[in-house]
This record gives sequence, C-alpha cells and structure tokens, in this order.
Amino acid sequence: MAVTLDLDDIQGLFARGYGQLKAAQFTLFAAADQAAARALLSWLLPRVTTAGAFSADSAWQVAYTAGGLRRLGLPPATVGRFSAEFVGGMADPNRSRILGDVEESGPRHWAWGGPQSPPIDGMLLVYAVDQAALQRHREELRGQFDALGIHTVADLDTLESARTEPFGFRDGISQPLVDGLPKATAGERTVPPGEFVLGYPNAYGLLTDRPLLPASEDPRRLLPPDVGGSGAADLGRNGSYLVVRQLAQDVEAFWRYAQEATARPDGSADPDAPVALAAKMVGRWPGGAPLVKAPDRDDPGLGTDNDFGYHHTDPLGLACPLGAHVRRVNPRDSLDPRPGSDASLDVNDRHRLLRRGRSYGPSTAGSAGPNGNGTGETGAGETGTGQTGTGENGAGGTGTGQTGAGENGAGGTGLHFLCLAGNLARQFEFVQHTWLNNPTFRGGYDDTDPVVGGRHPSGGTFTAPARPVRRRYRDLPQFVRTRGGGYFFLPGISALRYLEQLPAGEPQP
Amino acid sequence: MPHQLGVTIRATVAPERVAALREWLSETARKGMAETPFDFAHLRGLHFAKFFVLDEAADLEGEPIPASLVFMTEVDAPLRRHLAELVDVAGEGIDQAFGHCVGYPAPGTRRRARIRWLRRHMVSSGASYVNTVGRGLEQIRQEARLREALQDYLDQPDHGWSASMPPARVRSDIQAYVAGRADLGWAMKPPARPSLLWRVREALHMVAVPVAIVLLLPLLLVVVPIGAVLLRIAERRDGPVTERPAPEHLRELASYEDFGAQNPFAVAGSLKPGGLRRTTFRAVLFLTDYAVRHLYNHASLAGITTIHFARWVPLDGWRRMAFASNYDGSVEAYNDDFIDKVWWGLNATFSNGLGYPRTRWLFFGGARYEQEFKYSLRRHQVPVPAWYTAYPTLTAHNIENNAQIRAGLRGNMSPAEVEHWLSLL
Repeated sequence: MAVTLDLDDIQGLFARGYGQLKAAQFTLFAAADQAAARALLSWLLPRVTTAGAFSADSAWQVAYTAGGLRRLGLPPATVGRFSAEFVGGMADPNRSRILGDVEESGPRHWAWGGPQSPPIDGMLLVYAVDQAALQRHREELRGQFDALGIHTVADLDTLESARTEPFGFRDGISQPLVDGLPKATAGERTVPPGEFVLGYPNAYGLLTDRPLLPASEDPRRLLPPDVGGSGAADLGRNGSYLVVRQLAQDVEAFWRYAQEATARPDGSADPDAPVALAAKMVGRWPGGAPLVKAPDRDDPGLGTDNDFGYHHTDPLGLACPLGAHVRRVNPRDSLDPRPGSDASLDVNDRHRLLRRGRSYGPSTAGSAGPNGNGTGETGAGETGTGQTGTGENGAGGTGTGQTGAGENGAGGTGLHFLCLAGNLARQFEFVQHTWLNNPTFRGGYDDTDPVVGGRHPSGGTFTAPARPVRRRYRDLPQFVRTRGGGYFFLPGISALRYLEQLPAGEPQP
Repeated sequence: MPHQLGVTIRATVAPERVAALREWLSETARKGMAETPFDFAHLRGLHFAKFFVLDEAADLEGEPIPASLVFMTEVDAPLRRHLAELVDVAGEGIDQAFGHCVGYPAPGTRRRARIRWLRRHMVSSGASYVNTVGRGLEQIRQEARLREALQDYLDQPDHGWSASMPPARVRSDIQAYVAGRADLGWAMKPPARPSLLWRVREALHMVAVPVAIVLLLPLLLVVVPIGAVLLRIAERRDGPVTERPAPEHLRELASYEDFGAQNPFAVAGSLKPGGLRRTTFRAVLFLTDYAVRHLYNHASLAGITTIHFARWVPLDGWRRMAFASNYDGSVEAYNDDFIDKVWWGLNATFSNGLGYPRTRWLFFGGARYEQEFKYSLRRHQVPVPAWYTAYPTLTAHNIENNAQIRAGLRGNMSPAEVEHWLSLL
C-alpha cells in the first residue's frame, strides 16, 4: 500500500529510537497553570524534533497526559474525544487488573503516576550524543522550568543506549516495520502506519478513532483536516499514544532462580544450565539467536535474526517454549485462525508495539549471569526497549559507566518501557493481558510470562515442552515490577501549535 | 453424562424496588454466590449463573417496557431438578432476588408455588451454544483433578524416562499409575453420554431440518432472493455508528470484569423495525440453533474456542433481543475474536438490531468496522453485577485438554499419536 506520511508533522520518536544519541532523560512535569503550560510549549515548539530527515546531535519530544491537555486549555469535552483508556489513565483501578498492576506492582506503590504521587501534565524526552551534552540540556531545562513555573515530578534517567537490557539479553531485535517509513524495505512484511500514528489506515484498512473537532473549534485552521472527509479538524492526526512504564528488573533474583532451578540433585551447579534455562524463558539466547533456529546453544551468527516463524518448525514448543517471553509478545504465525498462514500473521499484526524504551539504573556489573559462565546477559528480549542496558558480558565485568539512578523514582535497575500505539486497548493492553500476564496463554494453566509476568503470591509455573514429557518449573518468583506509569499523547506538530494557541480560560487541572 | 441447559428466568421489577435491587446485586457480587444466601456451589450440575437488570425502556412505538431482572444459569439436565434446587438449596438468595419483582410468592409460601413461579417466568432461547455438548460439571471437575494428579506424578524425579525411549513406554507407565489409583479408576473408562432419548431427539432434528429445507426449496428460491434485495435496500439507509459508550457506563462494565480466567457477557437491544428484519432475525436464529446443536457442538463456535456457553434470547415478543455468554479472557480479546473469526455470524445476527455497524448483504461489513463494532457492543452491553462460575481458573481450552488427556488413557495409539498425547500433559 502506498502511504505518504507527513513526516514533518510527526514527532521523530515514531520514526526512530535515537539509538545514536546515547544519552537520554525523560522528565515528567506539571505546570502551575495554563499560562505556564503554554509558555513551556512555546519554548519547546522550535526544539521538537520531527520524523523528517534527522542528523542533529540532540532531540526533543513532548507528550501530554489527559490532565496536561486540560491544563493547556483544551475543554474537557474535547479531551473526552481521545480514547477512553488515555482519558481514564493507566492507574485506573479497573485497568490495573488488565495490566497486571496489582499487589507490589499496584499504582499505590508507584514512584510516579499513581494515586499517591503528584499529577503529571506531560513528559519531555531529551536525547543527546553524550552525558555531558545531556547535562547541558538538563541545566537549560531546569532554568526554563524555574522561570516558567513548571514543576518536575520525576526525572527518569537512562543508561547509555546499548544492545542488551539489564537481564543481559540482546534487545530490540524485533520491531515492526512501518509502511511508509524508509526502514521498510521492499519484500519485508510491514504494518500499516495507522497502527502507530493516527490519521492513517490501520491494520483493518480503517482510520483508528481519533479526536476530531468541529471546524469551529479551530478557527485559525491550525489543524489538518480529517482525512476521513468529515470536514472536522483532526487533533489526532500525526500523533500517537505513548505508553510509559517504569519496570524494575530484579536481575539478581532472575539469575538466582535460574541457578537454583538447574542445580544438580546433590546441590552442585551445572555450569551451562542456568543460561540454557534463562534462554528457554526468554526464547532467545543472550546473544540474540532465536531458539527456534538455535535450540541447543547460542549462535553469534544469528544474533539479529528476525526471519522466522514458529508454527512450521516448532509447533509444540520443543525448541522455543510456547510460553517463552518472545513467543508471547510476538507469537508471529502461531495464532488462530490457521496457524502458519498469512491469516495468522494478519491477526498478529493487530497487536504490535513500536518500542522506544531505555534501561535505567546503576551498572549491574557482577550480578548479571551466574558466576563464571561467561555470559551474564539476560533479559527481556523483545519486550524491552529498542536499545538499552548495561548487560556487560559475564564474569564480573566492570561497570559500564552510565548515569546513576535518578533522583526521583529510579533506584534499582530496570527498563523505562516506552511504546507507541494507535489503539491502546487493542495493542498495549491486549498484549499485556492476553499474552503476557495470561496464565492460560496457548493452553497453559498457571504460566504467566516467565520473565516479565506477574505471579500470584505463591509463585508461578514455567512449562518447557520436552520429550518425552514437559519439564515444569515451579515457584517462579516475580522478576519484574511496575514502579510507575502513564498514558501520554505525543501530538503532531500542528496539534502542538493548536494547543499552544488555545484561548486562555479557567484553569482546568 | 447429561446434556446442558441454558435456563433464563426473567421477571418485572417492582418500579419502586429497582434501585434497591441494584444495590443488593452489587452487594451480592462482592460476597460471591458460591455460598450463602445462594449456595450455588451446592447446586448439582451448575456451571455458571448470572443476574442482571434490564433498564426500563421504550419500544420503537414508544410503548414502555418495565425494568426486569434476568437470571441465567448453565446447568446439567434435568430441568426439574434444577428448578427444585433453586428453591430448596438456593432459596434464600432466590427469594431475596426475585422478592424485588412483581408477583413473587410471599415469604412462607410453599416451595411448589415458588418453583411454579420460576417455571412460569422462564424465557426460551432462540439458540443455545454449549462448548462441548454432554460434558457435565462432574466430568469437568474430575478431569481437572486427573490432570493435576498426573502433573504431580510427572514431576517425580525417578521415572527413568529419557527423550530417546519409545514414548509408548512413558504412556504405559502413566496408564499403570492411573489404573493403580483407586480414586482415579473412573478415568480409564469413557465418560457417559447423554440419555438415549435425548440423543434420538437430536438426531431426528439433525435430519428433519435439512429435509424440511429441501421440501421448501421451491418456495425459498423465490422468497430468499427477493428478501435479500429488500434487505440490501434497507441496509443502504444505515449510516455509520459514531456514538461512543459513556465513560461511566464503561467504568461500571469494567468494574465487574477481569477477576479470573473467565468473564460474563450480556448485551441487549432493540430489533430494527419492520417485518423484514424480524423475519430475517428469526431465520438466522433458527439456523444458528441448528448450527450450534449439530455443527458447533464440540470445543469451537465457528473458530472461537474461548466460549463456554452462549445463548441468543428474543425478548418482549421479538421486539428486543439479548445475547449472553461466559467466555475466557478480556472483552477486548473476545471482541477481536468476533472481528477476526466470526464477523459473518455476528453480522447476520446483530445487524438486525438497532445501532449495529452497517452491513452489506447481511454478512459483510458490520463487525469489520472494528471501532464502530466495539463501541456498539460496549454500548449495548449490560453490566453483570452478580456472577457465579463453578471453575473460575479453567478456560474452555483447559477443559478440552483435560478431556483429551483422559481419552488418551484408553485405546491403541500410533507412536505419533502417543507423542501428541504426551504433549498435552
């Protein structure tokens, strides 16, 4: 399908994760009032990086919560035209069950974004070539915040972008290729852009619901017209929903479990077994090789291999368990109807995430990987990030020299998970509920995602299909916990201009 | 094993009691219905039960339809036993619930009067889907226990099995283990089938309907094309559905969802006006009834494997209809299954209702307008505050898998079949 994307009106995060800009900080902010919110936006507008050609040494993106849009002066009824999930927010109690944000992961324990923490208007994403440059931007920003009356709710610091995430597994290998972006080369399977940016055809060939405004609400014609032809002004076009979650990763517990579960009957360690079990749980080896292609050992030559399905080569999950992390977040051709067919891939395409996260925390040197096995890499494979992590190699490696924990809300090690979506319910929430945290996924009984899934208090189960019978790992602890989160909207550039020009009105937090 | 029944009991709520009933229902929901005052866990053969309130409404002519309480159960036959147990075992809760309704026998009335009242307030389903016809509650529970016992057995470290040994040896070890356990002896025998009388009746129905259709063919060949053209003309007047569900309605629905492996579902709405729509709807329900009894009676409703029970119930003299089910997973996943797998079935049924996305030739379009379809279902969805499930952690897939595990304990198998069977464990 020939789609022309209006790249100069889309924020750059849609097109790229800024992997070459090694340093990044995500700042959650709240404005004192509408004037402050508008002033900040006016200051930001010339800085916001678009999805067009990019070669600069820094990048700025800005996204707003529903409350932040109201603060800017968008009438509540207009905010109500955004998706119900966005308006209701990630910490909504009913949503917490869908997302698995319960018990320790519950919003009331969150460092930010929960009912106990201050409201958030928006998030600023700042990227720079190195920590020194980032530090300069940070100071500039702090000055502006002080001058304008903007309050920092939390600074989410990130680790220098790397190929591995904190558990030590190569990450960011499998991203959907978006139709209309230059990365989508001919012959490869692409996902329609409307899955990730509003105002373009989605995987059903339709326009995803978006905030359309009567033309009278845009008298200066700042917004693009509704491509659906309704005559309305499209506040959503070229914008995306942005999911942000701080996921704390218990690297030590992960590797301890892998070691204990594979200890020999006499208690001694089996040197290769912990990594092999961890790879079964992830579905890829630490180096990235997919288990369907490298069932027995890591294969460096397959480190970025993304050209495979599951149904024809491994229908029972003997190589890559049905419940392995990467087989859950992206089941490829294993889904009904007709696994192994294009119809199956079509269903899969309706549940893809465009991931843009980064890891955080102190160096995990020495804790990643069991001692002396030479790997030390671990992790969240395809959920993860895009580019992340310390994941130094193995045996007591040295620190990797990234920034430390942030002042607010960081602490520990983990992932600032970010993903773009056109439809939060069908994409992010579906994947989270129906695939990751579903104990009955693909015929299971009590198996949530072995790496990132929630567990009930007595622990969970991981089933590795095998001959002659499955191997069942019990009492799996929870390795990943939600520490914060929010739903944001990453507006198009025209929409940002519209928001900047909203008439002054009553403050509406 | 018995066959399964979908029982619907509906009664008009006394107008001044509607608010009190709602409050009482959500209170009940918090406590659950397994124990007192309903004691549903002690009703024989009860798989699921739900209560919901249909608001006061007006039909298309403006005739008022009073608020009503709907009680649905999915239960093993016989009906007579079930109705008696509703009064004898669940009586305290049933009295409290229907005590909000017009004409429910006064406290202290004899049980037979109350049973009669319930029976008089039963509403027939137009069609009723059972995931696997004939699989009763007792069987589901037994087979779940069998699987758990086998899981513990497999976890024992000292079997001496290896990947290279013939899988048949592993199977015979498992068979010997089950045979040796007195409490699992039943598992070596096939489950009982529904009564002979019932099976004969179903077989007759299976043959009679196609025969009748063939006999009527000359007439149908004239009527159906004319009807199709008229329907298409009517369809062209339908516009897109743009109305979104109200946030507070969504919140209420969500507050009862996603606590376990399964969810209850109920939608209700008005049929479109006119005889053409009503006739189409009746014909579709007639065919649906045939399909779920004879084609989709084992583990899949036209490709959807996550539904335990479902029913289509015409209401108020075919002016309105309700659809209710018990399904696995989230409502989002359920809707996606509808859109991706059985859009045609949804369209043929629900496009006769008001507020459904426009269709073409009855089967096309409709649910494929993803967002319109989801809004339409959510808007017509009725909160189910009080819901009971006898096996909250088991999906339909789990139950079918358990049955296959048991079935594989008997009979001869090829090595490939043994390998497949072992993969179910």
